[in-house]
Amino acid sequence: MDKGLLAYLYIPLFTAVVIPFLPKSKPKLADLFANATLLAGLANLAWLCLRPSVIASGFISVPGNGLSLLLVGLIYLVALCVTFFSANYLPEAMPNRGAYYSLLMVSVAAMCGIVTTSDFFTLYVFIEVLAVTSFALITVDETLGGVEGALKYFLLTFPASALIMAGISILLLTLGSLSYESLRTAMSSGLPAGPVTFGVALMMLGFLIKSGVAPFHTWTPDAYQGAYAPVSAHLGGIVTKISGVYAVLKTATLMNFFDGRAQGLSSGIMFLGMLSIAVGALAALRQKDFKRMLAFSSISQVGYIVLAAGLGTPLAVIGAIFHLFNHATFKTVLFLNSASVERSAGTTDMTKLGGLEHSMPWTSWTSVIALLSTAGVPPLSGFWSKLLIILALWESGFKTYAVLALLFSIVTLAYFMMMQKKVFFGKKPAEAGAAPEVSPQLLAPAVLMSAIIVAAGLLFPYFYSYVRMAAERIIL
Amino acid sequence: MDLYTKLLITAVALPVIGAFAIPFADRISTPARNSLSVLLGLCTFLAAAALFWPVCAGQTVTMAVPFPLGFDFILQADMLSVFMAAISSFVSMVILIYSLDYISHYDNQTEYYVMVVLFLGSMMGLVFSANLLWMYIFWEMTGFASWRLVGFFRSDKDVAKANKTILVTIFGALCMLVGIIMVYFDYGTLDMNVLHGEAISMAAAAFILVGILSKSATLPFSTWLPDAGVAPSTVTALLHAAVLVKIGVYAYARIFGVTFAAPDGFSTAVLYIAGASALVSAGAAMVETDIKRIIAYSTVSQIAFIFLGLASGNSTAFAGALLYILMHSVAKGGLFLAAGIIEQNTHTTDITRMGGLFASMPVTGVAFALCSLSVMGIPPFGGFFSKFLVFSGAAQNGNLAVLLMFLAGAVMTLLYLVRLFYKIFLGEAAGHDSPKEGSYTMVASVMALALIGLALGALIYYPSSYTQLLTTNLGVNLQ
Repeated sequence: MDKGLLAYLYIPLFTAVVIPFLPKSKPKLADLFANATLLAGLANLAWLCLRPSVIASGFISVPGNGLSLLLVGLIYLVALCVTFFSANYLPEAMPNRGAYYSLLMVSVAAMCGIVTTSDFFTLYVFIEVLAVTSFALITVDETLGGVEGALKYFLLTFPASALIMAGISILLLTLGSLSYESLRTAMSSGLPAGPVTFGVALMMLGFLIKSGVAPFHTWTPDAYQGAYAPVSAHLGGIVTKISGVYAVLKTATLMNFFDGRAQGLSSGIMFLGMLSIAVGALAALRQKDFKRMLAFSSISQVGYIVLAAGLGTPLAVIGAIFHLFNHATFKTVLFLNSASVERSAGTTDMTKLGGLEHSMPWTSWTSVIALLSTAGVPPLSGFWSKLLIILALWESGFKTYAVLALLFSIVTLAYFMMMQKKVFFGKKPAEAGAAPEVSPQLLAPAVLMSAIIVAAGLLFPYFYSYVRMAAERIIL
Repeated sequence: MDLYTKLLITAVALPVIGAFAIPFADRISTPARNSLSVLLGLCTFLAAAALFWPVCAGQTVTMAVPFPLGFDFILQADMLSVFMAAISSFVSMVILIYSLDYISHYDNQTEYYVMVVLFLGSMMGLVFSANLLWMYIFWEMTGFASWRLVGFFRSDKDVAKANKTILVTIFGALCMLVGIIMVYFDYGTLDMNVLHGEAISMAAAAFILVGILSKSATLPFSTWLPDAGVAPSTVTALLHAAVLVKIGVYAYARIFGVTFAAPDGFSTAVLYIAGASALVSAGAAMVETDIKRIIAYSTVSQIAFIFLGLASGNSTAFAGALLYILMHSVAKGGLFLAAGIIEQNTHTTDITRMGGLFASMPVTGVAFALCSLSVMGIPPFGGFFSKFLVFSGAAQNGNLAVLLMFLAGAVMTLLYLVRLFYKIFLGEAAGHDSPKEGSYTMVASVMALALIGLALGALIYYPSSYTQLLTTNLGVNLQ
């Protein structure tokens, strides 16, 4: 456990405990507490990492391994967007408002636990905590869709937990310890790799299911579609990325120390990554519902990260971390915008929408920025991360994967163009209502995230030097 | 940092950043927004044109911002980039002035001005970039701007055509990126100064060529350009004359003309593709009845002539092709803007429903005729000299089949433009009520372009000696 970062875990946990004790007569206090906690955390992180002197020295003085800190920042950022959005989105008289925020805070704490831990058992515990809170968050929407989504989420991720547990047991039997460090030393000591690889493979399979990689992706669209709009932004933007994709990435970097003895496992992961890119993008082309399209797009984008993680070269890891960050930013914007559209026009069914650009210009333009970044159009941040991943693939000789990954960008662009055409441009159907722009408070998170997308693209050299520092610390 | 470096940065940064100031100017007033847009166009042109001084004196102006992994952001003004930048920004500026009246009664005007200026800025970035990756980045930015501009009218059909435009050009761009990645791993750098004179592998060249052909609407990627004609005429003028399709030929000149030595067989293949493109599109122009589609097919055909000059592999043809870019930009810009006046005042683009318009629109008619003559290549118009140089260079190359294809193409150009002029301006009036002339600024912009075409013919000595000097100084692997 990275002890320096524990405060980022404890403080939201503390807020989660405090929120139920707040006076029931002032429901808005819960909003305030949650937002203030996350904002304070972010301010603290910005002080740690973004002082001019730290930037000038190439981020040498950033404590711990830079990756944890980056991801903690990302978790706080997305969670802040979600809580800020929720504060203005949730109905005033919502009965379980306090519980909702407590759950969000616990899930933030659990995610911080996942990214700061340094052994597999703690990782597993936090992943389970996160799974339970996500399950509960989906059911905050008490309609049938919410409950159905929650059940699917529960049933399909449960086997994943079992696999992870089995993998951990095998590791414990063979290595006698579960810390990342022991796996690393065992691998470089020349022990027979078979059982360890088997254990790691089981765990990896569990993580892949949790991250919704094809062919284990069927639970994600239902879960995202069923949940409350801000909850789906939380799940799609960060939760599945941390509980699944981060774990895949972390384990894959440890597999680097296998010295090629887990080659089959690596190429299997890469294949699943490529499959996800293709399946997600092609399925997204056929979606009629805004949120489901976003869910399939997530599957496709997660594919890029998994593909790069499976490759595991330094450049690939840099690209994967960068893409993880970018994915969280642009997918949060799109999910929040889908929530705004739902609030304003009353539906996310794209066949019933159209012509919203005049009444909702901000939502329309932030969507354009986010979708172009997803499709990897320069100079936005998504372009750089995809480019790094593709360069890494090419460098290691996986030229077919590189070209395929590149050309699937055009499919990404195609389905998002279709979405933009159906929802924002084009003619408004006769039965659609007025659909006015949502309030500035609801727009603020999407605008903030769009600004980060543009800034991360234009300030790529700084971002790259940070991520490279992080990648060097976790690989070397 | 000396004055010229500052001018170079201005030429790129001013329109790119200035474009985003236009919505704020719109908050003040509509005239403020319009004058800011025109001013941005004008200043960009002046900054680009001022760079003629150092490059004619043999200097190269460079500025660089280091980026990791060899992706340095390098802007460089040499004879080729300044030439191209000055043409594009000049035509864009005329189009902006013309837009003031043309666009004034449509929706989404602010977005229109933002995108036109951003388009110009990306074009400036593209021509001045001396790093292949940054060329690609600006290349994609132009794709984005063209997407919004082609989809200016928001009916389902318009948006669908806009999506087609961007999907085709971005597909090409991604292929080009594959080519660029190949170059990156072959040479470890994307800096074109370092790559100067290196041999490029056939595969990389072919991938880059796909990108170029898709952007310059050459066979087999030509269909998006006539379809993009659903956009307002100013936008099509911009795409055809100033920016989008010229990007393809510029990139060809930059990458295969003055940077890499293209492999044998590659140039020959380009010649045949261009020849086929010239013939097919000229044929299409002869049977179409939509004025904008005819001119669009004419562009596809004329672009092929530029490729003929660039790929012929000798300095006469190369210099001719550069002149051709200049002449075609001016004349085609004029044709589209004249078509815009006709379209707006007759409320149709179907030439079978026009006829006899010369009586009511004499100035537009004259300007249209002058521009057509330049495109046909009739002396003493500028278009004659460029076509002559391209053909004489191609004849030196000695590929008879290609030469015959292009001669046929040139004759067809003559035919379809005469037909077009006849159908619109002469003959019997077909069911219209003698529409009036366009507004003062619109007619003046069109006439200015027509007269510049004529003047360029009269003063051909200056541009032609410039392009010859350029070819001698920068050309790679030319006889």
